[in-house]
Amino acid sequence: MTTNPLPLSRRRLLQGSAALAAGAAGTTALASCGTVGAPAGATEIDYWLWDANQLPAYSAAIDMFMAENPDVYVRITQLGWDDYWTKLTASFVAGAGPDAFADHLARFPEFVKLGVISPLEGLGELDALPADHFKQGLQELWTGQDGKRYGVPKDYDTIAVLYDKALLEEEGLSEDDLASLDWNPEDGGSFERMLAHLTIDENGVRGDEDGFDPKRVARYGLGADAGIDYVGQTTWSAFAFSTGWTFTDAETWGTSFNYDDERFAATIDWYFGLVDKGFFPPFGMFGDSSPVQTQVQTGRAALGMAGSWMISTWANLEGLELGIAPLPTGPVGTPMSMFNGLGDSISAQSENKDEAARLIGFLASDAAQQAIGERAPFFPATDVGTEAAVAAYADKGLDVTPFTDRVDAGETGLYPLVENSAAIASIMQAAFDQCWMRQIDGADFASYNERVNALFR
Amino acid sequence: MTTTTSERTTSSPTAAGSAAATAPRRAIPWGKIAAWAVMVIFLLITLFPFYWMLRTALSSNNALATQPGSFLPVGLNTGGFERVFGLQDVETAISQGGSGASINFWRYLLNSVIVATTITVVQTFSCAMAAYAFSRLRWRGRDTVFLIFLGSLMIPQIFTLLPNFILIKNLGLVDTLVGIMLPTLFISSFAIFFLRQFFNNISREVEEAALIDGASKSRVFFTLILPMSSAPLATLALLTYMTAWNEYFWSLMVSYTDQSRVLTVALGVFRAQSPGTGPDWSGLMAATLVAAAPMLLLFALFAKKIVNSIGFTGIK
Repeated sequence: MTTNPLPLSRRRLLQGSAALAAGAAGTTALASCGTVGAPAGATEIDYWLWDANQLPAYSAAIDMFMAENPDVYVRITQLGWDDYWTKLTASFVAGAGPDAFADHLARFPEFVKLGVISPLEGLGELDALPADHFKQGLQELWTGQDGKRYGVPKDYDTIAVLYDKALLEEEGLSEDDLASLDWNPEDGGSFERMLAHLTIDENGVRGDEDGFDPKRVARYGLGADAGIDYVGQTTWSAFAFSTGWTFTDAETWGTSFNYDDERFAATIDWYFGLVDKGFFPPFGMFGDSSPVQTQVQTGRAALGMAGSWMISTWANLEGLELGIAPLPTGPVGTPMSMFNGLGDSISAQSENKDEAARLIGFLASDAAQQAIGERAPFFPATDVGTEAAVAAYADKGLDVTPFTDRVDAGETGLYPLVENSAAIASIMQAAFDQCWMRQIDGADFASYNERVNALFR
Repeated sequence: MTTTTSERTTSSPTAAGSAAATAPRRAIPWGKIAAWAVMVIFLLITLFPFYWMLRTALSSNNALATQPGSFLPVGLNTGGFERVFGLQDVETAISQGGSGASINFWRYLLNSVIVATTITVVQTFSCAMAAYAFSRLRWRGRDTVFLIFLGSLMIPQIFTLLPNFILIKNLGLVDTLVGIMLPTLFISSFAIFFLRQFFNNISREVEEAALIDGASKSRVFFTLILPMSSAPLATLALLTYMTAWNEYFWSLMVSYTDQSRVLTVALGVFRAQSPGTGPDWSGLMAATLVAAAPMLLLFALFAKKIVNSIGFTGIK
């Protein structure tokens, strides 16, 4: 204790404080250069979005906006999905949220209820923005129960069947074989026969041959992500919609769910029944880090259902030549895809709503949609934007019309726009998990449905 | 004891060498071999995750899943590291499974260093003063105040998040480094407690002798107490530095743009950006390695100090 390895003398301490003072001065200098880019006199507004893949397209469009509107400076903040919602919610509580932000259908009813997002009525050019400027049905998704609009449609997504063209060739199948499949909940139609044929067990026996072992499968006919939820966006919803089933009693803002419907029960029994047949991975077979595109890439699954926002991810996978097929035709006579749209909302707390409205209005304009569509790994909400995106994909050799056809032909079912989505999710998750584990069947969903409907009473 | 150890280490190789030369039939030291073997196995077990990170960082994201069990990088490339240092253009980054966010690595690193260093220096110094007051100065209500401080250790951080954030917002410090530092800049109950316990054990006689010699209380603090506690101060500073460096949620709340973005928050861009897309594994592993490097460096420089001070506090 007498020998001191690091004597801290007063002089050293003073030196330390001096260094600290210098550091603090540096910090202040850094802090003061915070408003870089914001020209004097310009109103600074915040725009937030979560998808980093959309950032380049939106940065470009926002640059165009700032060039046309030198009196507004837009500060863009991008955060990954989980952080985004945490920070957004906390910021609303603290009154420090963004002026405008990318919003999701599963979240916006809650925001309307809390009064943190502003209706677009009375906000400059957004006041008169016609619904038919966007793909049909999108503005409806962003209309509240009070008939006011709470978001400007930003982009949309639909579902299709994705596969590896090389595998198809190996199997001696043509792209038309996949494009003309039909499905029904009783025997699964030609879609199930296709899955059976593409499924191979560890002995090399196919799902439609004698001696197939459904417990030891090397390649599943259809892959699946680790979680299947109450929306079933890329899983069971396409099949359920194609029986004529709907989530609730109304297109939007329904207050009574139909998980007790016979058509739903039959669909769910067929869908999860694929597990027993060996055509679909059992619960827990693949974790979060083996999403459906990985299963198809590595040959653990032959087909995958995926949303249009995943096209680029699939297209970039090594050793996979992406093919896109439409969903199978269901009992209603057409394929049915879930139709979901993101929107831009304006914060009720914003002190610069007019500037924010100008920004959002500009992002929906043809010029901005064209610019976004060209760079987009997704489908912008207007016809002009979608055409630009389809053309950009075609340049890369990808035919994405199986996604866009559903919208053009009106073969879509809306994402369930309801209140209490968080509570519904937690009630229904247990049901879907247990059904996937093959512990309950489709008819057992009726009791969960009652619990869900009780939330609305 | 130090001398004996060094003698042993310096003499043993020569002793072993001469023994081998003169007596070749000496028994094989099985015990030693076994000990080394166990050591090597443990070393491998410890180092393997780091190797796996490096292997994944050097792999191609889009090929990674094709050979999940390969011990060598799959589709060897440096794309992951290029993304971390912001050397890749957006289109290449997206095509390699990265994100479209631009990365200003050195800016984030500088921000992190400024934040962690400032917090460490200011907090350690102010807490040392507070601990001295709690330990040696006599004033009314001292123990009650100390108990309140101790009690604050039991308040979960999430409770203070929003009040702190509103305060920072009202002070106009949102999106500044000062805003990130401020809540932990001066006070840490743990640091005060840690140092107070240590100061309590410094013998009063030393201090009284200095006071008799005419030193003031502050002089005693600066010339006596601080130098005598340099080891625990260094330990505390290191712990504070690591905590400040790793802080995520508060920095995420306060930071809006690159100007106040610290490394931990910036590296969040390598996690899944939208549901279903999955993380950018090679970028994430490269980023984790790079972010851990300063901490490893700090530990390598101060390892002896830490071990010393832990031993020191134990001996008392």
